[in-house]
Formats: sequence, structure tokens, C-alpha cells
Amino acid sequence: MTHWLIVPIILPAILAPFIVLAARYHIGIQRVFSLVGVSAQIVLGLALMWQASDGTVMIYQLGDWAAPFGIILVGDRLSTMMVLLTAVLALLVMLYTIGSRWDERGRHFHALFQFQLMGIMGAFLTGDIFNLFVFFEVLLIASYGLMIHGGGNARLRAGTQYVLFNLVGSTLFLFALGAIYAETGTLNMADLAMRVQMVSPDATVGIRLAAVLLLLVFAIKAAIVPLHVWLPSSYAEAPGPVAALFAIMTKVGAYAIIRVYTLIFPPDHGPTAGMHDYWLMVAALATVALGMIGVLAAKKLDRMVAFAVIGSMGMVMLAISLFTPQGIAAALYYMVHSTLAAASLFLIVDMVKDSRANLRLQATWPVAGAVPTAALFFMAAIAMAGLPPLSGFLGKLLILDASFGNGSVVWIWSFVLIGSLISVVAFGRAGSTLFWKARSIRMPEDVDPGPAPSTLSYVAVGGLLGLLIAHTVFAGPVTAYTTSIAEQLFAPDAYITNVLETPGKLSTPADGGGH
Amino acid sequence: MMLSLELLVASAIGILTAGGIYLLLRLRTFPVIMGVSLLTYAVNIFLFSSGRLTVGAPPILNDSATLYADPLPQALVLTAIVISFGMTAVIVMMALGSYLGNNTDLVNDPLVDDDDDDDASVGNAGDVTPQEGRP
Amino acid sequence: MSLFLIVALPFLGALLPGLMNQAGRDACSGVTFMVSLAAFIGLLTNLPSVLAGEVVTVGIDWMPLLGLNFTLMLDGLGFFFAFLILGIGLLIIAYARHYLSRDDNMGEFFTYLLLFQGAMVGIVLSDNILLLLVFWELTSLSSFLLIGYWKHLPEGRQGARMALAVTGMGGLAMIGGMLILGQIVGSYELSVILQHRDLIQADPLYVPALLLILLGAFTKSAQFPFHFWLPHAMAAPTPVSAYLHSATMVKAGIFLMARMWPVLSGTPEWFVLVTGAGLITMVLGAVIALFKHDLKSVLAFSTVSHLGLITMLLGTGTAFGAFAAVFHILNHATFKAALFMSAGIIDHETHTRDIRRLGGLRHLMPITAVIMTIAALSMAGVPLLNGFLSKEMMLEESTQTVMFNTWWLVPALATLAALFSAGYSFRLIAHTFFGPKRDDYPAAPHDPGFGLWGPPAFLVVLVVTIGVAPFLVEDFVKIVTASVLGTTAELPHAYIKIWHGLVPALYMSLAAVGGGVILVIMHSVLQKIWDATPRPEAKVIFDATISSFVSLARSLILPLHNGAFSRYAAIAAVTIIGAGYFAWITGVQGAATRAPQAATPVALAGWAMLVAATFGLVFLHRNRLLALIMMGIVGLMVSVGFVYFSAPDLAMTQFTVEAVTIILLLLALNFMPNRSPVESTVLHRVRDAFVAVAGGFGAMAMAWHYLLRDAVATPISEFHLANSYKGGGGTNVVNVILVDFRGFDTYGEIIVLGIAALLIYALTETLLNGPVRARLLNRVPDQPRAGGMHPMMMVVLTRVIMPVVLMVGFYIFMRGHNEPGGGFIAGLIVSIAVVMQYMASGFSWASSRLRYPYHGVIGAGVLLAGLTGIGSWFVNKPFLTTDFTYVRIPPFEKFELATAAIFDLGVLLAVVGAVMLTLESFSRLARTAHTKDSVHPMDIDPSRQASTEEGA
Repeated sequence: MTHWLIVPIILPAILAPFIVLAARYHIGIQRVFSLVGVSAQIVLGLALMWQASDGTVMIYQLGDWAAPFGIILVGDRLSTMMVLLTAVLALLVMLYTIGSRWDERGRHFHALFQFQLMGIMGAFLTGDIFNLFVFFEVLLIASYGLMIHGGGNARLRAGTQYVLFNLVGSTLFLFALGAIYAETGTLNMADLAMRVQMVSPDATVGIRLAAVLLLLVFAIKAAIVPLHVWLPSSYAEAPGPVAALFAIMTKVGAYAIIRVYTLIFPPDHGPTAGMHDYWLMVAALATVALGMIGVLAAKKLDRMVAFAVIGSMGMVMLAISLFTPQGIAAALYYMVHSTLAAASLFLIVDMVKDSRANLRLQATWPVAGAVPTAALFFMAAIAMAGLPPLSGFLGKLLILDASFGNGSVVWIWSFVLIGSLISVVAFGRAGSTLFWKARSIRMPEDVDPGPAPSTLSYVAVGGLLGLLIAHTVFAGPVTAYTTSIAEQLFAPDAYITNVLETPGKLSTPADGGGH
Repeated sequence: MMLSLELLVASAIGILTAGGIYLLLRLRTFPVIMGVSLLTYAVNIFLFSSGRLTVGAPPILNDSATLYADPLPQALVLTAIVISFGMTAVIVMMALGSYLGNNTDLVNDPLVDDDDDDDASVGNAGDVTPQEGRP
Repeated sequence: MSLFLIVALPFLGALLPGLMNQAGRDACSGVTFMVSLAAFIGLLTNLPSVLAGEVVTVGIDWMPLLGLNFTLMLDGLGFFFAFLILGIGLLIIAYARHYLSRDDNMGEFFTYLLLFQGAMVGIVLSDNILLLLVFWELTSLSSFLLIGYWKHLPEGRQGARMALAVTGMGGLAMIGGMLILGQIVGSYELSVILQHRDLIQADPLYVPALLLILLGAFTKSAQFPFHFWLPHAMAAPTPVSAYLHSATMVKAGIFLMARMWPVLSGTPEWFVLVTGAGLITMVLGAVIALFKHDLKSVLAFSTVSHLGLITMLLGTGTAFGAFAAVFHILNHATFKAALFMSAGIIDHETHTRDIRRLGGLRHLMPITAVIMTIAALSMAGVPLLNGFLSKEMMLEESTQTVMFNTWWLVPALATLAALFSAGYSFRLIAHTFFGPKRDDYPAAPHDPGFGLWGPPAFLVVLVVTIGVAPFLVEDFVKIVTASVLGTTAELPHAYIKIWHGLVPALYMSLAAVGGGVILVIMHSVLQKIWDATPRPEAKVIFDATISSFVSLARSLILPLHNGAFSRYAAIAAVTIIGAGYFAWITGVQGAATRAPQAATPVALAGWAMLVAATFGLVFLHRNRLLALIMMGIVGLMVSVGFVYFSAPDLAMTQFTVEAVTIILLLLALNFMPNRSPVESTVLHRVRDAFVAVAGGFGAMAMAWHYLLRDAVATPISEFHLANSYKGGGGTNVVNVILVDFRGFDTYGEIIVLGIAALLIYALTETLLNGPVRARLLNRVPDQPRAGGMHPMMMVVLTRVIMPVVLMVGFYIFMRGHNEPGGGFIAGLIVSIAVVMQYMASGFSWASSRLRYPYHGVIGAGVLLAGLTGIGSWFVNKPFLTTDFTYVRIPPFEKFELATAAIFDLGVLLAVVGAVMLTLESFSRLARTAHTKDSVHPMDIDPSRQASTEEGA
């Protein structure tokens, strides 16, 4: 049997302790291991995606126990794509980290980075809801470490709030899990899908509570209004590369919502009707609005980008909340875009930060390496604001197009279009102030703007933007693939049977499915 | 209704939750951490009770016993306890660091001065003198 | 040449100027010129097929699922605009080479220019309307860069932002319109859409689509009320103004209306909106232009006015209107570009564009004077110049147009506009070139080199040629008009000629010219009146709107996100409670299926203590030590509860964890203030209490609900009970689940623990290497320390029980698989044993006897666990597959060897390492914090304190 499906999780889980054990004091060795690790992840991601592309659902029974009794990993089109996206992002972020020497500003950066990857990969690959919780905790605690990497008072305070808020989130997750187990007596997602169908229409409170609490848990991760409050200061205060890596973390929430609310609680399922299939869209609209208004309101560049992230999550959620294959396909296309765009913006912010007194949206003397940085910012801003020619625009078109026929199409359109106008104006103001007006300010003699960002940093950001361009040019094939993903999600039988009917240790065909 | 074990457990969960939420909304890190811990107790009991309540039948196999308590929630709670222990340690340390660094253990940020208006507005383009950031 | 190449060339070429920048200004402009020329020639190669009335199309798929494809088409209209864009582009490039000064970065300039050119060509050649949108927004972006080219000028930045905001808004509206159009027709291909006039106009969504598309067109073509951005875009270098605001960008809106003419025009909505906006713009622009003093502003507003004129013509929806419109587009492009370039020359030579400071220049710069005069006269509509012809046709059309059932309305307004337009044109000539020569020019003016006056001169030649020999272009104009009309209307027979006989248009035209002369004569008087009359300043309004939006946004956003965690938590709590409540009330509860079990006094007592301790904690939370004790009691009662409800493993875990947690908190409290002050108001506390109680009830109701009901199907744990011994080789099912059935969870769990420890260690490092260190060193303990640090009794006791505890740990570990216990609990017990040493003899003493680096222990533990899992790969089994066997070594009874035990050992190591590293970190803080501590295992003689303190 092959073990490839688990390697994205195990590799970092072995690398990290090894780094701690062997290379604790040798930054050079750590970097080598980190880079090798993330590069390997990309290869793995490609291989797994290739495997899944024809619609096969790979499964991996841990401890050789059959689902639903043991934990199981599942690799389908969606999860493998997320794995690849994570790996690619991780490589570029790692390059920037090395280029900007961020990893030297504190201890254990690389170990924490690897553990972070382990958590994210696990969350994408697991087919067991409690195991999902465990991996959420892994990626969270690693993110705490990365978030406060390098210290600093403001960062520590923001970090404390970030941790506290997520502790509440974890508690809620456990409540939801308790509810789920109490109601269904199982933890495996496929088995849940089966058992949720058994819920009788005259006793629905239990399953409704479970469904709603779980949605809230993921909503916190995905920063959906009103549970987004933790995001702005956390992302703004986190080290640039870490914030860039966090661009995928909100997507973990989005992924979980897509997975759970297509597989386990499909919108047309009677007992859980009238909740996420209605309220998620309202929340998503609010998220779009708040994010875009926040972009206009922000007084500092980093917070501005943080709000842009919220806005783009709103777009993703909007597409998801249509709960149609077309909508999910659009959501996935936009998700990839917003991950790359947000990451590049955070890295650019970090480039600007180093040679400015602060990140207020006020003109000071030109930052070190202003011209290339300005060009990158211009591109990234275009992407984020959803202007042509970059993928943001195409994603926006996809979402608007998918929302045709939906009851609240007028709302969706006006929120999306007005929202992007606001962000265009806001980014225009910010950019022209930061990079153009700066030209008119003499550099004081006594100030040293410090060195320009290293070539490697530019390579990293350029790589992200290059990926955005590729995402635009090959939008045709990409949308074709996301559509195939959506179709797989809306026809979950293959997934369910494959998971539940593959026998494992001591399982007779009789108890193969657990009922 | 009769005073049942279920009622006791449920009310215990409720009371722990209430206390936890109340402390969570306090202004200093220490009580907030206490609140989180209370919530953790509450949720652990809740998760445990998802296997329903069984008295005197630990899930340790022996030939005589016929009834066993549901072992799975116990295992889950054990995992949850360990994880929350790690989290508590972390938050305590971070709160401590934040306190030592900022010299205050308030959970809320001090209100930032909102009067410094950026001049990116289309109207005034009078060039501002670069100013120092907050330390 | 392929249409792809024509569109692609400018974009690809945009890379060159930047590269050639070092090679010098000539090389830089030269390469740009060559790129445009290539595209221009490529376009001309398609002329024959266009003249033959064919439509050239090429296309490749881009996003077939969305219907966005890279399809291009070239018909008369597209060719006409592409011709203007590329042709005038060539002149502009040549002109800009000599216009830009040495301080200007020419490579940057030409890069933007080519990007813009490519985008424009893309618009006019797009067959797919979504593709058209892409290029449309690209022009907004590239013009943003061009207008803001002189970044140091505030006007430049503001003008650029304003243009971006206004045209961007239009573009976004157009997205909506185009999508609707596509949905109505079922295709986004223009060639298809243009065939469905009736379908579109019958659709209920026609009006919204029309409004949205017109919004896009009007903003781009600066139609009232969106005209205000154009004059502010004049902050751009003159070549840009000449290019964007005469020939191209502002014509994009016109182009769109012409493109959509066959399907959108001819309805009353179209007529009122388009003709109405056109008329207003036309008059407004002309009037304002008369009173501007900046040459470029005059031209800017005249452009606005002429765009209004064209719009008005398109609005009438008649074939003749379209005919006139097309012709005027051509004429306006020629004379307006020439005028802008001349204005640029004057600015270049005299260093001012203020008409009031000019005059008499005809003596000093005769060539420029001739060029500008001819162009201006054409703009005024003087016979024998092309402007006259199209203006005649416009007036002619206006007499045919009846609006709001008033026959005179349109003609009157048209004449008025023409009159003012003649007026500002004459003023331009009179006040710039005529009058006495002055001696106070900012610079000594003289005619520039050919490089600067050549391009406008060329255009003026065209102006005259078309003016005297219109038949030269007539056929071409008709072909273009034909492609505008499509299949909807017949090409008008009217042909362009100078003398139409004594038609009303002629009188109107005469009136206009005559009136224009009068206006110039009376100008000084009118100017005084104009300056005296108050009128809204568009820019002020725009800025006010933007900044009011900003402040509104701030008042909405900033207070909500000011880093007040308490509010965040409250929001979260209320949301969660509310959502849960909603889910509950909208569901059906269903009857209870399980009988409640009677409560025993023991349970009641335990419950009472738990509740009491909880309340105690809540009410005493300000006194942190007491609060901690209450916490301990709560934890204790919870573990007792676990015992009662037959969960021994949980009880042991909870208990040991509790112990360690309390120790950590005690260590932390060491540094933190030991009391919380009262800060929140009573109101706040009541509010919080309310939320808390609501939440409590929610949790209770939930638990109550589930406790009295069974799961929908048998819990999967039945399988675990059945197979724990058979498959896991253990009788303690919980432990088997932990290390076998769900070992992967445990694996993740110890990793969490490990990360926690690493994090804490890293944070300590950062703190101790930062400013905090100093603060710690000068810190005065806020509570008095006990005299004897390490009481002898405790020391002896711990030393004695140390081995015992270790034994217990080992025992607990070994039996874990079958009896309550296991790696985790054992690990905690071992750590507690070591912790006792710490507590007894202090950090320094203990850690000086520390043999293993805890990082290593954690790493080893996690690795061991992981490798155990991987081990099963070698027997070709999945990760963490366990195996076990029973061995019997006499005289011992047979015991079990399970791979799970190795995994469990990893757990143990990780736990010990994590706990100890955490304590270590805290202790390092403590040591830095100058707490009294002695290197001696016990304190017999307090006087030794002194020596150690100096040492410390």
C-alpha cells in the first residue's frame, strides 16, 4: 500500500522535532531543512493532485482501522488542491523569510513553521471531525508562536488577544463536537453524512445545534462578520511573512465550511434547513461591506491590508453561500486568488515597513528601494481590488455570474461592485500617498532608510504575483478544474462509500459501514 | 422535575459556563484566563457527557462486567484536557510577557489617538513633514 | 497582420522603453515609435477587407465556462478608432520626445503610454464584451499612471485619483450592464449580441442594463454630471492631455455608445438619457470654456462640450445622427490634438498657459500662431475647415430632433453651444496671438524646433484638406457609419458638402459665428459677471464627498476595532448564544428517550462543592491567590466527578494536570499584581452577568437535551469495546483508543504540547534579550518573601519520595494499557516529582543538576512517537498500526509487549520535556527577576542569604 497521502503531515512533523533536536543553534541548517521540506511538499501536492484529478478519492486508514472506528485521511480533488496551494505559498513565504532574515529575530521559527504546515495539511486531509479539531489546535498553537515571533510589546498584546479569542473558538469547537457525538454517535465525516440523514424531522434540535455551533467555529477561522474582530490587529501586528502565511489560515475555515456543509449538512437537508443556507449569505454580505469600508477607513497600511483580507473572505463566503456547484467553483477560484494576493500584499507591507518610521498612510521620504516596491504594490493592489487584468477581476466576474438566478442577486451585485469601487479608491489614495507624494519629500540627512529589501525578498513577492498572473492566464483550465471539484463535492456518494466500505483491521463486511 | 444526575451535571456545566463567560469579559488578563479555564472545565464535562452518564462501570474490560461507560468521549476529553493544558501554559506565559513588556495587564489595548488624520484625502495635498511613529 | 498581434504589440513593446532608457532619449522614443508604427502598419494591412465591408475576426478561448474569450473583431468602426488611436499616437510620441525635459524619466512615460495605447486598441477591437471590460478598466489604470506621471505635483496625484475614482465607478457599473446583456442574449460575443436588438429591448432588464452601461460610457466620456474629472486630468504632461483627452480615452465612451447603438438606441429611454446628457454637457462645457484662463482648461472644457455634441448626435438614434457623429469624431480628433500640442508649445516656450499673461505672440512664434489659429477656427466652425462641416450636420440634425414635444428646444441649445464654442475659439486666438507684443513673458518665446510643431502642423494640413475636399473622406466615413448602424438602419444618402444651400443650419451657423465674435468683444465684461456669480466647484464637492465617506467609514470601523478584547469577547458570546438560541427555537425538540438517574447524596455534595467553588472564583477573582485556590477546588471536584462517572483515566489526568497548572499559575502570579482593581462600571458588570447567565442557560439546556436522548444510531465506541483486547491488546479501552484506535489524535496532542513548550521557551528568550530584562532586574517584589527559602522538612521529604514517585510513574506507565494510567499521566507524575525538587530547593540548585536539555527530550519524544508510527510502514501497514505479543520470562508471569507501548513512551517523554521546559522558562524569568534564591539545597543559616544575593 502507498503512504503518500499522509506524508504532507508526517514530513513536517518529523522535520520540526529534528530541527529542534539537531540544529537548534544553526540557522543555516534550519533553513536548508525548511526549504527542502516545503519543496518536497510542493512535489507531494502535485503528485496527490494528479492522483485525485481523475475523481478518485484516496483514503488512508490510520492504525489500519476502518472508518468510522479509526481516524481516516481522505484525499479528493478539493483537499489535494488545498495541499498544493499551501505548499506553494509556504515555499515563497519561506524564501521571503530567509531573504528578510526574519527567522533570525527569534527562536524556533523554522520548527514552528513546519508544525504550522503540519497543522494546515492535516486540517485539509483529515476525514474525521475530532481529528480536524486536533489539527486546528496544532496549527493554532504554531500560529501563536509565529505570531509573536520576534517579540515587541504591541505584538505581544495583540498576540494575547489573538490567543484568548481562539481559545474561545476552541472551546466552542469542543461544544460542537460534543453535540455531534451525542446526537450521532460518530466522528467520521462520511459516517456523519449518513447518520445526519437518519435524523427524524420531529427531533431536530440536537442536530441543528450541532450544525450551527460548528458553523460558528469555522466562521471564526474564516473571519466572517461578526466573528472577524480578532483578525485586524493580529494580522497587522504579526511579522510580515507570518501574516502572509496566515493568508491560508482563513482559507482553512472556508475549506471546512465547504467540506462540512456540502458533505454532512447539505443545504437541502430538511432538519438543518433555514440556517446556514440563509444566514451565511447575510453574514457574507456584511463581511464584504465591512472589509471594504475598513480598507477605506484604515489609517495604517498593515491594517488596511488586514481589512482587505476580510473583504476578500467575504467574497469567498458569498460565493460559497450560493451553495451551487457554480458558486463553489467560483469560490475556489477566488480563494486561490485571494490567498496569493493577500500574501503578496503582506510581504510588500513588510518591505515598506523596514525603512519607515511607521506605517501610517502619510507621506514620508521615499522608502528604500521605492521604485520596484511601488511597482509590486501597484500590481498587488490591482489584484486585491479586483481590477483587470489580474485574477481578482475574473474571480469577481465568476461570482457575479454565479449569483444570477439567486433570489438576492441584486444585493450581491451592489455589495460586490460598490465594495470594489471603495477599495479601488482606498488603494489609490494609499498608493499615491505612500509612493508618489513621497517623491516630493526630501530625505533628512540624519535619517538612514536602511538597506533596500534583498533580492530574495523581491523574488518571493515576484513569485506570488507571477502565480497570480498564471492564475489569470490559465483561468480557463483552472475554472474547469474548480468546476470539477464542485461537481465532486455535490456528488458525495463516491466519497462516502469509498470511506465507509474499505475494510480495515478486524472489520467484517457486516460492520464495515458501522450500521 | 426530579433531582437527577443528569440535572446535576447539566446545571454544573451551565454554572461553569456562566462563570467562565463572566470572567472572560473582565478587563485584566488573570481573570480572563481564569474564565477560559472555567469554560474549559465546562466543555470537558459536556464532551464527557456526550457519552451519557454511567456510574460504576469504567471501560476496563473484565469478564464479569456487562455494562461499560462509553470510552470514546473519555478518550476525547483526555486529549482535550492535554491540549487545553498546553494552551493555558502558553496564554499564561504570553500574558506575563505582555504584562512585563507593556507594564499593564489590561486585556484591552490603550485607546489609540484618532486625531492624527492622514492627508491622503484628495483635497489637501500639502506635503506633511515625516513624523516619528509611536515607540 | 493578425489582430492579436496588433493588440499585443503595444503591450509587449511596453517593456522596451524601460530597457532602452539608458540608451538615451532618442533610442527610447525611437523604439516606442517603431512599436506603434508596426501596429499601425499592421492595422493598415487590414484596410482592404474593411473597405470591402468584411468583418475580420479572430479568437481563442480564455474562460469558456464564463463566456469570457479572447475574441477580436475588426469592422469599419473598430478600424476607424484603431486608426485614430495608433495614428495620433505616432504623432504624440514624436511630439513627446521633444516635449519632455531631461529630468523626466522617459522610459517610464513611454511604458505607460504604450500600455494605454494597447488597452485602447483592445477596447475597440474586442468582440467579447467581457474582454472589452478588461481593456476598459486597463485604460482607467494606465491613464491613472499617465495623469499622475509628475508624482511630485499634488494636482497630478489628485487629478489621477479623481479620474480613477470616476472612470473606475463607471467601469464597475458597466460590468453589471454587460453581464445583464450577456445573460439576456446568452452570449458575451458582440457579434451575437448585435443581432438581438428586439430581444434585448423587449427584456425587462433592458433599462437597468442601459443605465449601467451608459454610466460607464458617460463617466469615461466626461458627460454631465461626470464631466468634472476631465479638466483636472490636465495636470498631466501635455502630450498625455493631447492623446487621452482629445483623440482617445474620452472617446472610449463614445465608441461604446456607437458600438451598442444598434441594440440599445432608438428607445425613448436612450433618446432622453443620451441626447439630454449630450445637450447639457455641450452647452455647459462651452460656457465654462469661455471663462477659463488656462489654455489647457479652455481646451479641456471645449473637449467636454464637443463630446457632448457627439453624444447628443448618437442619442437621436437616427442614421444621419450617427453619420454626423462619426464625421465629427474624426474632425474633432484632428483639430483638438493640434490645439493641445500648440498649447503645449506655448507652455513650453513661454512657461505659462495663462491667457491673461499672453498676447501678441504672432510676432514671436508665427508658425505656432498659424497652426493654432487654423485649428481654433475649425473648432469654431468656420467654413473651409473640417469643423464647419460636421457642425453644420449637427445643427441640421438638431432641427430634425424634437424633445419633450418642443420643436425649438434642441436647435436652440445646439446653436447656443455652437455660439459659445465659436466664442472661446476666437478668444483663444485673439488673446494669445493678437494684441500688442508684451515684455513680461515669463520666458523669451520663440518658435520651437520642427520636432514640436511638426505633428500639429501635419494635423492642421488634414484639417484644411478635409475642410476643402470633404469627398476625400466621405466614403470612409460612410463605411464606418454603416458598421455603426449595423442592420438596424439604412445609410443616409446625404453627402458631405460645404454648401447645402440656404438651410436653417446655415443661419444657425452664421448666428453662432457672429455671436462668437460679439462674445469675444464683450469678454471682459462677461468675465466680471461670471467671476461675480457664485457656482458650485466640482472638485470641492468631490473632495468633500470622498472625505465625508472616509470619516463616515472611520466612525463606523475604528471604534469597533480598537483592540478592546472585552468587546470582541462580548460580541462573540452574544453571537454564539443568539445563533444557538435561533437553532433551538426553529427546531423540533422531540421527546426524551432516556430515563434520568436519581441523584445520590454523594453526587449532590460534590455538585454543591463544585458550584460553591465556581461562585467563589467568580466573586473572589480580584484576589488572585484566593481565586487560584478556588480554581484548584473546581478542578479537584471535576476529577472526583470523573471518578464517580467511571472515568478513572480522566480523573487521574485532570488531577495531575490541575497540579501542574496551579504551579504554573503560582509562578506567574509571582510577577503579576496580586489583585485586580475594580474598573468596570456596575452597568457593565450587570450586562456581562446577563450575557453570562444566558450562556450558562444555553449550555445547561444543551447538556440536558442530549443527556436525556440517545444518538440516532449506535455509537461507534461499541466497536472499540468489542475489539480493544482483540485488536489493541489492552483491556483499558480508553488507553487503547488513545494509543491505537485514535493514536493519531494523541500524536497531534503531544505535538501541541511540544509546540507550547517551544513557544514558551522562545518567548522567554525574546523577553530576556529585550528591554524586559532590565525591567525584571530592577523589579521590586510586590509581596514580601518568606524568610527561609527552602524549608528543610520539605527538602528531606521530596528527596525521599522522589524515587518513590518515579517508581509510581513507571508503574502507571507500564500498566496503562490494561489499567487506568498510561504515558501521559505517568509523564505528568514524573514531572511533578521533579517540580517538587524545584519547589524544595529552588531553581538554581535543581537546574544545575539538570542532566538532559528539555528541547532534546521533547524532540526525542515526538520523534519516537512519529517513528513508531512510521515503523509500521516496514510491515506494509498504515501509519501507527500497532502490533503486540505476549512474552514470558520465568519466573515472571507472562506480560505483554506492544508497539503501542513505544508510542506511549514517546508521549511520556514529550510530556515530561514539555512540562519541564515550561517550568524552566518560568524559572529563568524568576532568576532574572532577582527573587531571593540560594545555590544551597537547604537553608540552615539565613545569614548565607547575603553572600548569595551579591552573587546572584
